[in-house]
Amino acid sequence: MSERRRDEIALKRQKLAELRKARAERLERKQQQSPPPAQDSYKNRDINALLEGILGSDAGGSSGIRTPDLGTPTSSAPGTPLRVPRSISGIALRRGSDAGSSTLANTASDAIVDRAATPRFAPELIDVEQELFELPQRERVMYNKEIQTATFDSSDEESPPHDTGGVGTSTEDVRREREREAALEAAREAELEAESVQLDREIAQEIRDLTEEERTSIFAAPEFLDFVEQSSKIVQRALNDNYDYIRDYSVGTETGGDDSEGKRVKRVCAFWDERYCKNRSITDLDWSPKYPELSVASYNKNPAALNEPDGIVAVWNMHLLERPEFVFHSQSDVLSVTFSPFHSNLVFGGTYSGQILLWDTRSKHLPVLKTPLSAAGHTHPVYAMQMVGTQNAHNLITSSTDGLVCSWLVDMLAQPQETLELVHAGHNKTGEVAITALDFPDNETSTFWIGTEEGNLYQANRHDRAGAKAGLNAHDVYRAHAGPVTGLHFHPADGPVDFSDLFLSCSVDWTVKLWRARGLTNTKPSTGGAPTAVPPLYSFDEADDYVYDVKWHPTHPAVFGAVDGSGKFDLWNLNIDTEVPAVRTAVSEGHALNKMRWDHKDGRRVAMGGSEGRLHVYDIGDMAIPRETEWNDLQKTVASFAGASSQEPEPLTSSLRGSVNGR
Amino acid sequence: PPELEQTLAMLSSHRSVLGYLVLSRGHPASIIRQSGVVFEGEQGRRYASAVARIVESAQSALIEASGEENEGDDIRFMRVRTKRHELMISPDRRYLLAVLHDPATGS
Repeated sequence: MSERRRDEIALKRQKLAELRKARAERLERKQQQSPPPAQDSYKNRDINALLEGILGSDAGGSSGIRTPDLGTPTSSAPGTPLRVPRSISGIALRRGSDAGSSTLANTASDAIVDRAATPRFAPELIDVEQELFELPQRERVMYNKEIQTATFDSSDEESPPHDTGGVGTSTEDVRREREREAALEAAREAELEAESVQLDREIAQEIRDLTEEERTSIFAAPEFLDFVEQSSKIVQRALNDNYDYIRDYSVGTETGGDDSEGKRVKRVCAFWDERYCKNRSITDLDWSPKYPELSVASYNKNPAALNEPDGIVAVWNMHLLERPEFVFHSQSDVLSVTFSPFHSNLVFGGTYSGQILLWDTRSKHLPVLKTPLSAAGHTHPVYAMQMVGTQNAHNLITSSTDGLVCSWLVDMLAQPQETLELVHAGHNKTGEVAITALDFPDNETSTFWIGTEEGNLYQANRHDRAGAKAGLNAHDVYRAHAGPVTGLHFHPADGPVDFSDLFLSCSVDWTVKLWRARGLTNTKPSTGGAPTAVPPLYSFDEADDYVYDVKWHPTHPAVFGAVDGSGKFDLWNLNIDTEVPAVRTAVSEGHALNKMRWDHKDGRRVAMGGSEGRLHVYDIGDMAIPRETEWNDLQKTVASFAGASSQEPEPLTSSLRGSVNGR
Repeated sequence: PPELEQTLAMLSSHRSVLGYLVLSRGHPASIIRQSGVVFEGEQGRRYASAVARIVESAQSALIEASGEENEGDDIRFMRVRTKRHELMISPDRRYLLAVLHDPATGS
């Protein structure tokens, strides 16, 4: 009766314990490699002994009451003992759990057989007998004509079974007794049932250990790798967030002392990855216009690893310091890179072979579009490129060291929309103009300035305009530097006063020069006749190494930054001092800083790429915030520059040619 | 595969991370990969079943609470912050990554 239920539950508990024990044993055996079969057979023998014990208590003759829920097909008279089996079977069939438990018994026994691998007799017996049990049981159900169906709950059991034939009071009494007993039974049954179900659930939830083949098959599935990539990125970003959000501010053991950080340049982080950045230098970098925490850096070749791709472009996330968000490959060194300001997913890169590549963050490592390596595009290294235009009509302007300037449509990189060969006629040695730096003034799309390897700066026009032909404007000679021009940047035009005709240039001759561009606002470019030399407004000579890049600050009109070959970052503020930089920070010792970029949003952060492959991000804090007087102050400063160098640009013919000869 | 190893090694080498677990969902949940002292042996198994149960119950609670029409809302990320540790669980349709770390050591 219920004893059987209890036994069943005890058995189940034992099964559970054995599952666990068996697994532990399996682990042990794996380590020791000496299976003790005797132990298992001993356990089996225990089970069998228990079975015998149960069998002995039963009046039935069959052994192996693994499933005593089905009761024993005893030949005992129909009475309460049989009602119990029926009710049990009723419950069982209703819940289906016993079927489960019987299969579990099977699996458990099978499992035990597997682990033990020795005694085979007992389990097989059990299997066979189960079947035997079920069939006769069904017949017994016929005892009570009322309740034929199996799927109902205990309330039916409690309802007095009517016999269709009229019977005397004695039977009624007996019936009522039976009812009461049935009710009690049912209650107990329910309890035990619940327990057994609970145990079943626990058995089902036992964490399985995977076999080796399952493991390898999981590892081979690509979606598993994707899952690991994705979720590890998310977890790492969450790990990087150091704010402890359950901090209790009222518990005041905090050391105060917020030092006055107004005038300091602070290091935020440095991005470096062993796998992608080792032995490579950063050649260009950019901030994402859409997501202020993303920045992109392009790397050149790793001479030590010939199997790795020559050019790497990595997108870094400020919240994920250990590894790049995305990595893109290229066949040759990537020399310039830019996010597309109009599509947040696209990254353009110009390479050493002259190819322009387009990557998409939604795709994988390889470029989505490429320009052809033919005469239609560039065949020389592309050191400078820029996106110009508006959302609907934009072009990518690229320039290479053979003087070719191409304009491309973003969707069609198969051939350039227009090409322009810049030739310096009248140059005594060669007409070729080796462009190393290029910049468009703000709001201009058809005229631009370039810096060359010789150290000259020229203005050029993309199209024929009134008063100017397409091509190089050889009439204004900005005799800039004594070495290749490494950086060129126009002043961003926002603010009450427009300084967009001012630009900075820097070069390997240790200087940074400030110029006023002719032909933009007031001054007309000189046309025809002799070339005129344009002197710089001012020259900043504080550096003591090659100056590799110079960039105006996006919001503060008088601030600009410069990085040089000794790893120093100079922050200049023209309204404070024009002779010395406001702050000079040693960013990387012994390694040059190749490029720098201010971040677009408010210019508090600056990214600097080093020749050891590290991308440093620094925060300049309050120095980035301009006061209202900055613009007027700068106007006065610039006027004083102009006044100081107030020589009119004189037409020089022989002297110009002489100096050109001298190069 | 080496990238897998590298990624997981990078995860566990973070200074505040005490261990991670990669499980497969579904009945019964099974451990694919584990590391760290916290997740060794029996305790690891208990953690594994506990994590699987947490995710299952949270997912079903979500479905239950939001009604039938919001079927497509799955759990994306769970952070259980206790006094001493933080358990971060990132479930997928088929797999589950759980990372235990101590926020106090990550300065």
